[in-house]
Amino acid sequence: MIQFDQVTKRYPGGNEALKNLSFSIETGEMVFLAGPSGAGKSTLLKLIAGIERATQGGVLVNGQNLTRMRGNQICFVRQHIGMVFQDHKILFDRNVFDNVMLPLDIIGFDRRDAARRVRAALDKVGLLGREKSMPIRLSGGEQQRLCIARAVVHRPSILLADEPSANLDRAYALDIMELFKSFHQVGATVVISAHDETLMEDYGRRIIRLREGQFAA
Amino acid sequence: MRHFFYLHAQSARSALIKILRQPFGSLLNLLMLSVALALPLSLFLAVASLQDWAGRLTATPQITLYMEQSAEAADISAVNTTLHKHPEVQSFVFISKGQALKEMETKNGLQGLSDGLGGNPLPDAFVVTPTTLDPHELDMLQKELSGLPMVESAQFDASWAKRLFALISLGHQLTWFLAGVLGAALVLVTHNTIRMQILARRDEIEVTKLIGAPDSFIRRPFMYHALWQGLVAALIAWGLTCWLALAANPAISEFARLYNEQVSLRMLRPTELAAFIAGSALLAMIGARMAADHHLRRVGPR
Ligand SMILES: Nc1ncnc2c1ncn2[C@@H]1O[C@H](COP(=O)(O)OP(=O)(O)OP(=O)(O)O)[C@@H](O)[C@H]1O
Ligand SMILES: [Mg+2]
Repeated sequence: MIQFDQVTKRYPGGNEALKNLSFSIETGEMVFLAGPSGAGKSTLLKLIAGIERATQGGVLVNGQNLTRMRGNQICFVRQHIGMVFQDHKILFDRNVFDNVMLPLDIIGFDRRDAARRVRAALDKVGLLGREKSMPIRLSGGEQQRLCIARAVVHRPSILLADEPSANLDRAYALDIMELFKSFHQVGATVVISAHDETLMEDYGRRIIRLREGQFAA
Repeated sequence: MRHFFYLHAQSARSALIKILRQPFGSLLNLLMLSVALALPLSLFLAVASLQDWAGRLTATPQITLYMEQSAEAADISAVNTTLHKHPEVQSFVFISKGQALKEMETKNGLQGLSDGLGGNPLPDAFVVTPTTLDPHELDMLQKELSGLPMVESAQFDASWAKRLFALISLGHQLTWFLAGVLGAALVLVTHNTIRMQILARRDEIEVTKLIGAPDSFIRRPFMYHALWQGLVAALIAWGLTCWLALAANPAISEFARLYNEQVSLRMLRPTELAAFIAGSALLAMIGARMAADHHLRRVGPR
């Protein structure tokens, strides 16, 4: 379960990105996060992953209060989270396969099973033929799918996707949505952000709408 | 658990490959470290060799007691008993004035010397071999013996030995001083190498942190890099000193032969070599750990 308790996030020297937000997302729920650019979607997801720290209030993930945790404990929370970063965060010094292998290396996954897992994840995003490619040779959409494969390869219990379909055409965007939905169906908590709501409405899920760091009406 | 070893083996291997394949500049870095380590190591060997040689010297320091001209047989036997009982006296010989004169006459071809002088001018003497080699204790012993009744003077006829031992102890001090300074240099150089690597791999560190890598995971490749760097530098330094010893030994033994001595620079003993290599690796890892603790915190989220 993810719970925000009167959370305010103020960036150093900046305005408040999130203002006194309280809400919760149940375990196994699939939720959309909508709002225009600058509304605070990425900030909200980063707070869940412990990448940013709340200025005020409490962020609880699976019963643990991230605002009270120290840096070296938060990494273990992150190992249960898969995150699709808005700016991909791909490593350009290693090939596609090794990029997807990284989360499995970190959690200490058996090597032979790991290779199978990596290929399965690449297959799901349609990159199986490109496992030896260097990321610089991938298109923007392919890089995005690489990032998605890396986020799901270790089968996290929480999947956070920050505008995962921003660079994808409608066919791929639908594929990716199906992928997320299949994760949700096996029990994962899934949070997906997007600034355009057209894709979300087809799914009939709860939509959290943000505007300037607050809930939009 | 298997994975744990796998990760370590993997880090060790890729760090070694990285060191072996590194550009010329970093190779110079490694050589610099090796030379820095070779300096105290060579000095250590030189001093140790000198000490070995000094220990083998038969001419251990001796103290000669000259009796007063007026000393009687009773005085001589009193000194004799004192020397017998003295714990710091290993052995001694008595040389009577008559013996001394005869020796002098035969040695120098000065037959009839005493006749010319109108009597024997030489005193009775004891030549004492002490148990100790310590310059300070030798001094004390000399003072004590010269204070015995009817003893005119006690001469320490091997003041060169005193100087030799002083030189050796100075050499020891210098060795440890150099080892300390250059050991610190090893720590600092590794610190700097690892700092540069961390800065060069910022992106990688940031991303691995973002997807949940603990500090130990991120630190591991750097620690192995430092470990290999310390090991390789120590081995090269050892090679350098061996080469130095082999190159210098013929000239040293040639020189020593002029004095009928056998001297050569010795090699490191296996235990010394092991301690040297382990120490270098440890210092390198200390430097790396310091760099990692300081700089990893500044990269990526928190
Ligand atoms: N690192 C930062 N430092 C300072 N201000 C920031 C930082 N990141 C975000 N902000 C500010 O916080 C607000 C919310 O940003 P956020 O990235 O969460 O928006 P978003 O909803 O994800 O927008 P977009 O759809 O463009 O990605 C913005 O006003 C932004 O300027
Ligand atoms: Mg965003």
